[in-house]
Amino acid sequence: MKAMEVTGRTVEEAVNKAVDQLGIKKSNAQIEVLCEPNQGLFGIIGSKDARVLVTKRYEAEEYLQKFIEKMLFLMELGGEVEVTSSEENYYVRINDSSSGILIGRRGRTLNEMQYLVNSILRRQFPGIRKRVIMDVGNYRQRRERTLNRLALKAAERVLATRRQVFLEPMTPQDRRIIHLALKEHGEVYTYSKGEEPRRQIVIGLR
Amino acid sequence: MKQLVEHIARALVDYPDQVDVQQVEGERSVILEIRVAPDDMGKVIGKRGRIAKAIRTVVGAAALKDNKRVMVEIIQ
Repeated sequence: MKAMEVTGRTVEEAVNKAVDQLGIKKSNAQIEVLCEPNQGLFGIIGSKDARVLVTKRYEAEEYLQKFIEKMLFLMELGGEVEVTSSEENYYVRINDSSSGILIGRRGRTLNEMQYLVNSILRRQFPGIRKRVIMDVGNYRQRRERTLNRLALKAAERVLATRRQVFLEPMTPQDRRIIHLALKEHGEVYTYSKGEEPRRQIVIGLR
Repeated sequence: MKQLVEHIARALVDYPDQVDVQQVEGERSVILEIRVAPDDMGKVIGKRGRIAKAIRTVVGAAALKDNKRVMVEIIQ
């Protein structure tokens, strides 16, 4: 929904109702007062509610695009930003040929940036439940391939040594990839132990 | 660097006009001091400091190529 007409006892009350229902912040609202409220005589006779038309200035995709473009500019990094969306997620792809600066060691910078952008989206659009998934270059896909290889190698080591293997701590997303990679494996099984952010995968013999 | 921190902090708070960032330059380090409205403190810090940590990581990444250490402090 892009706009709505709402009434209230005061202009402020009507505006607050409208931004609530649109799930946006006031700074993202264009407000047109259609009708000023009128107290009437003794507040009873001839009193009239305020009526306002509130229009959303920008949508979440637009906001994300502009916010991240400006952030990259201020970081003095190049890169094109592309935002798409599905039912559950927004996907932000940064086409950055120059560097791993935005990715960081094992994706740490990318993941922290993603957390930050998700927090900002929820502040700016309180009504939105979708998550933002960010990628730089093709990092996520490359990481998945690396983790799949790592999982198979670790499983081989379990079979060779007949002992459990502990992987280093990983993010929930990375652990998920490992669990999936070994789900169909006939001879080993996986589970996670420890507390975030040091939760790690253990691979054991079935 | 200062503008980057301002850009991020303003997007997180309810009172963007009250965001103030001071940049203190040292020889090999930069300190960025963020001040926000009292009600907005929690919004730039986050649960268990997670948002502050994310700001530090992103700003730290931007500073990598300048070869400087950056410290981001949120000031009451």
